[in-house]
Amino acid sequence: MNGAAEAKRPITRLPAAAGLLALLPALQLLMGCQPPHPAGQLVVANKSSLDSVDPVDVYLLAGTQLLSAVGDPLYAADRQGQLQPRLATALPQFSADGLSARIPLRQGVRFHDGTRFDAEAMVFNLNRFRRLGKLSYLLDDRIASVRSVGPYTIELRLTRPFRALAALLSSITFTPVSPTAYRDYSERSLTGRFVGTGPYRLASYSPRKQQLLPFGDYWGTPAKNAGIHLITLSNSTALFGSLVSGEVDVLISSGLESDQQQALDARVARGELVSGAGPAIEIALMAINSQRSPFQRQDVRQAVALSLDRQLISQRVSFGLSEPLRSLVPPPLAGSSPPSWPAYDPKAARALYGQAGFCNGKRLTLPLTFRSNHASDRLFALTWQAQLRRDLGDCVQLEITGVESTSAYRQLAQGVFPMITYDWIGDYPDPDTYLAPLLGCRKREGDHCLAGSSVDSGSFWTAPGLQGQLQASESSTGAARERSLLTVQGMAAKGASFVPLWQVNARAWGQRNLSAPQFDGSGRVILQALELVKP
Amino acid sequence: MSRRHHLWGYLLSRLALVPVMLWLIASLVFLLLRVAPGDPIDALLGPRAPQAAREALRQQLGLDQSLPVQYGQYLNDLLHGQLGTSLTNQEPVTAVIARSLPASLELGLTALLIAAVVGLAVGFSGIARPEGKLDLSARLYGIGTYAMPPFWAAMMVQLVFAVWLGWLPVGGRFPATLIPPEGSGFYLLDSLLQGNGQQFWGAIRHLVLPASTLGILLSGIFANALRLNLRRALDSDYVEAARSRGLSETRVVLRHALPNALLPVLTIAGITVASLIGGALLIEVTYSWPGVAYRLQEAISQRNYPVVQGIVVVVASLVVAVSVLVDLLVALLDPRVKF
Repeated sequence: MNGAAEAKRPITRLPAAAGLLALLPALQLLMGCQPPHPAGQLVVANKSSLDSVDPVDVYLLAGTQLLSAVGDPLYAADRQGQLQPRLATALPQFSADGLSARIPLRQGVRFHDGTRFDAEAMVFNLNRFRRLGKLSYLLDDRIASVRSVGPYTIELRLTRPFRALAALLSSITFTPVSPTAYRDYSERSLTGRFVGTGPYRLASYSPRKQQLLPFGDYWGTPAKNAGIHLITLSNSTALFGSLVSGEVDVLISSGLESDQQQALDARVARGELVSGAGPAIEIALMAINSQRSPFQRQDVRQAVALSLDRQLISQRVSFGLSEPLRSLVPPPLAGSSPPSWPAYDPKAARALYGQAGFCNGKRLTLPLTFRSNHASDRLFALTWQAQLRRDLGDCVQLEITGVESTSAYRQLAQGVFPMITYDWIGDYPDPDTYLAPLLGCRKREGDHCLAGSSVDSGSFWTAPGLQGQLQASESSTGAARERSLLTVQGMAAKGASFVPLWQVNARAWGQRNLSAPQFDGSGRVILQALELVKP
Repeated sequence: MSRRHHLWGYLLSRLALVPVMLWLIASLVFLLLRVAPGDPIDALLGPRAPQAAREALRQQLGLDQSLPVQYGQYLNDLLHGQLGTSLTNQEPVTAVIARSLPASLELGLTALLIAAVVGLAVGFSGIARPEGKLDLSARLYGIGTYAMPPFWAAMMVQLVFAVWLGWLPVGGRFPATLIPPEGSGFYLLDSLLQGNGQQFWGAIRHLVLPASTLGILLSGIFANALRLNLRRALDSDYVEAARSRGLSETRVVLRHALPNALLPVLTIAGITVASLIGGALLIEVTYSWPGVAYRLQEAISQRNYPVVQGIVVVVASLVVAVSVLVDLLVALLDPRVKF
């Protein structure tokens, strides 16, 4: 046996330790191979990849973020929500009947391929978008036709008076592209190329990486950096880690968990990073199906609306980063203040539950559905469940169920969910994009909406006069519009079929050698304003 | 009949099953996608679009047709080698796969190399003293790496080596500020062929963490397989006979026991390659590695039917091809295999 053991010994002497030690210099060598950033160019990371850069295909924030750097809208909202002309030179001039609008266009603007921007180019683009655009429904029921009435003037025929036209046209998805470059793409999209008028030109594209270089003939303020590399990282750990390790210069908040945002804020407080916040364009809300028992009763819905401790929920769900919201319109948009929905009031809620025959041993079960693939929804459901148990445990109990978001959206209009929570992002910075898609109703019986946006959004609720107020808001301006908006929200708050929960402000963080990220009024980082401020 | 004739018969019988298998897989994925809750239109437009806009887009994408019509069109396209176009941007699915597949293969093959080297070294290390400390460590290593949740391991590796130490990139396949090399889509190969050192090292740096994580997680299977088969071989009569002829233990192990023990490992390697082509999902997602698994996950969340179907069919074809190849190799190398 000993002899055999002796004979076996040589083959156990594998140089494993030496091999492992050899890895260390190899790792060191690799560490030294990090390519430096080209002078003045910045790496910006976010979570979503881009399947197409054609404006007709773009509808998500990652796409509009890119378009805002390589294209220009006709109008743009500033941080206060005020519209400023960009490729237009003035706000639309409406005819006396409000059914047509003329828009003067900027002269001296060139597309990235040298083509001149003029009225014909804008008409080509608006018609192309109406044919191909994923968001073409934004134009379809409002704009009947578009034509040029001069070299630099277009005229839009409207289907009904629509005073928020400039706000609609501030959507970056209407950014014009060169009619020359897109001549062969008037009936199909051009996925991987973009030829627009913006401060950057798209130098290279792949779904997860785009390179932007400054456009030398840009008509406006030139970019303050030498170029941007937009990259996609697929999960929040990678996004967080890439900024902390210095691999990326700027990180856009979409996809980051609240605790990671809080950790980045702590670094900002220590002077290790800089940060910026944009306006709230996303709101979280709860839709209550007014046709499902016991929610046919308005007092039960109102009791539910009074049962939400938004402050507590905001702290537990987002460490207070998502501010409580009691309006369907996020600030600073018109009609967002004063808030129409009541604050948390457990006494009033108890009284209403009691009036409906609950409390004192008879508990109402509230069946809440949340989107299982959204961490904040799950946290909301769990927190509210615990809060109700603590504060109104003898009156109500919350029963929670998770459903994947795509399945949930599919079943909203079928009335499957008695109560469901989801978020809402306006297509452009205007109160109408928050109210009409949730409250609009084409056909009703009493307060039951039979067809329209109210059905699509899962509430099935309407009220006499509500549709008229929505239309009045569309066709009015200034103080009259503000009154309409507040009236609409007052009616919606009384109906309590929607309950706003919180607002989400777009945020971004950068390395400390950069200027703080700035945002436009649509919640996008102004990439051309990013600059190195320290060597 | 001669063994060669048997082999050809065996090969033909395996190949004859391939179209049937692919048809079953293609049909199953088609049906499962439609049965699963959710709808591409809702995934594309979210809850915001009015019903009319949804219906218009449904019509534009051909999703308003009946299931049998869609199925017939799908099979017809498949027979003509067409995988359709992506619902999100109308890009041909073949282009989507052509862009993603080299990334997955590059990661999978590198990981397999690491798994084989590390796994075989660990599996081999304990044979001198069965149940000794080294053997016990090898067993623990095998079980531990096999049982470790891939997403957890990947995140830990990412946190330590990329975030805390900052040695290597957090994710992605190539440095953000460099333009990837043109060519086959295999960045290491393309940059080597073009003699571009900066691109090559950039690609290597991005490959190290995902490939090492995946390779080490897989190495446990190799380690355990080799260890068990080698132990069995060393206890067999022909090894005893070799020892009794006075051969050295090194020669007994390397020339007699190891080749026999490696045959089952070859089968495992084949299965691993097949699963790696489409199965490194958690690693690809954690490291933002733009391979087919990552693309498949995106396509599923978007309910992008043609992309999901295309990727599944292509991956299934590759898996079938690799398993047929491995079966043949084993049959050729091992005279004990009967057909």
